[in-house]
Amino acid sequence: MVAAASSLNALEITGATVPGRIDGVSLQLAPGLLVGLVGPNGAGKSTLLQVAAGLLPATGDVTWNGRPLAAIPTLERGRCTTWVPQEARFEFGFSVRSVVAQGRFAHGDDDQGVDEALARLDLAALAGRPVNRLSGGERERVLLARALATGAALQLWDEPLAPLDPRHALEVLHLARELTRAGTTMLFSLHDLRVANCLDMVVVLHAGSLRAAGPPAAVLTPDLLHEVFGVRARTTEGLTLELP
Amino acid sequence: MMLSARLARLALPFTLLVLGVLAVVALGAGDMHLSPVRVWAGLWHRDPLAATVLWQMRLPRVAVAMLVGAALSASGLVMQAYFRNSLASPGLLGVSSGGAAGAVIAIALGWAAVSLWALPLTAIVGAVIATGAVLVLAQRGASTERLLLAGVALNALLGAVTSYVLSQYAGLYERNTQILFWLLGGLEDRTWEHVLMGALILVAAAALWPLGRPMDLLSLGEREAQSLGVDVRWLRRRLLALATVLTAVATAIAGTVGFVGLIVPHVLRLLVGPEHRRLVPLSLVSGAAFVLACDLAGRAAGGLRLGIVTALVGGPFFLWLLRRHP
Repeated sequence: MVAAASSLNALEITGATVPGRIDGVSLQLAPGLLVGLVGPNGAGKSTLLQVAAGLLPATGDVTWNGRPLAAIPTLERGRCTTWVPQEARFEFGFSVRSVVAQGRFAHGDDDQGVDEALARLDLAALAGRPVNRLSGGERERVLLARALATGAALQLWDEPLAPLDPRHALEVLHLARELTRAGTTMLFSLHDLRVANCLDMVVVLHAGSLRAAGPPAAVLTPDLLHEVFGVRARTTEGLTLELP
Repeated sequence: MMLSARLARLALPFTLLVLGVLAVVALGAGDMHLSPVRVWAGLWHRDPLAATVLWQMRLPRVAVAMLVGAALSASGLVMQAYFRNSLASPGLLGVSSGGAAGAVIAIALGWAAVSLWALPLTAIVGAVIATGAVLVLAQRGASTERLLLAGVALNALLGAVTSYVLSQYAGLYERNTQILFWLLGGLEDRTWEHVLMGALILVAAAALWPLGRPMDLLSLGEREAQSLGVDVRWLRRRLLALATVLTAVATAIAGTVGFVGLIVPHVLRLLVGPEHRRLVPLSLVSGAAFVLACDLAGRAAGGLRLGIVTALVGGPFFLWLLRRHP
């Protein structure tokens, strides 16, 4: 039983189509992988993430851990998977802590792991601040902390690194790596191909279709980068940033 | 401006106390002044004269005022969470206009003269049709923007219907006076039948009570809430139905009373924060107190109608909000 369960894909998408946005995308992610989703603007990254999260109606099939999405009740979905939007706009002044605590809604608001999530995203000092008075990067960290607090085994993040400063971006990547080592599966979109090059797997979307998926070294070839992104890839000695 | 956590916890008992005091004052005030002691005696039929005044005139009026206030304020709170916009209010969806159009038609055609129940019933029918129309118009995709625009269009259309009926029956002085009286919103001559109709408000309020927590999540984004385990489609439908019923019944028993649903939830949010588990009960009680106070103020000012008082308070408040709102 255990062996059978572990051989299941954490996320399996078959022939997902949203007219005009993505077309027949199929994808399998094994558990515990850190996966980057790349593609030019308008390639369908956000759409694919929302389809994977079961938030956007699409033809085709989505399964989480071998279970078809349709068979999972909404509340349970909130425990299995979490999705972080590309942009956060908060109309009401909930405190940072209360927004992060919303991640425990599907667990009966038990408040477990909320303070840890705040600390991991460097939000402990902002816990009492209203979310509608935060900067873009701070808001993003609030959403990531809320996603972390859910404890979901499948995390789908839409461009989490874009609004973050270098230090916080590195910390989030470090956190993502830690989560996947503990068995979480993570699919997130990003534009920095140099970061994508360091992940377990890269998925390339181009004009709504899956162009390639696999280990970065096999996928991010100069030919593909030229075809999909229209850039020439060259390995040089550049600026390298890491956590101290 | 926001109260400390301890004061915020006291907000509900405090508003209940204010509501109680206002109710006693409202029951005592009028052509025949009654002291709180006589009000008490009258309520228990120990003072025959006071009992007659209270049970036949003042109690229904006070009860209707509280029900209308609770309903309008709660429905404003629901719409603000639903639209994720603190400027949303019951008039927005066209529900009030639908109710107004229905009532105006009932008066113009003379149905209202036939039965006391005709006007509230047509008002409710009009409001439900208006909400139904908004939903049909906004069904595909059903995004918030679409729904809002559908409400705007419907408001204009139903306003035109009301104006048309008014202009057609301009010759019938009595009916036109009645229409105007109703469009201005007021609590004059309310009876126990109106209170009975208002009982629907209590049912809707009870159904709203447990929805505070999911409303929190919804008010920060639909997809986010869905992803966190909220059944957003069910919740949105439920909230829309409750807001419609609350507004329709309130409009049916007291005419069009504006701005309550905008002012009360907004001030409460400033005072105790945006958590709906606290805001739902508080908005019901504070709305009741607010309308009761407005009615008292109108009576003290020599018989200003309720709709005029709330508009006099609400208009400037709305403009102030618009300036604050980016």
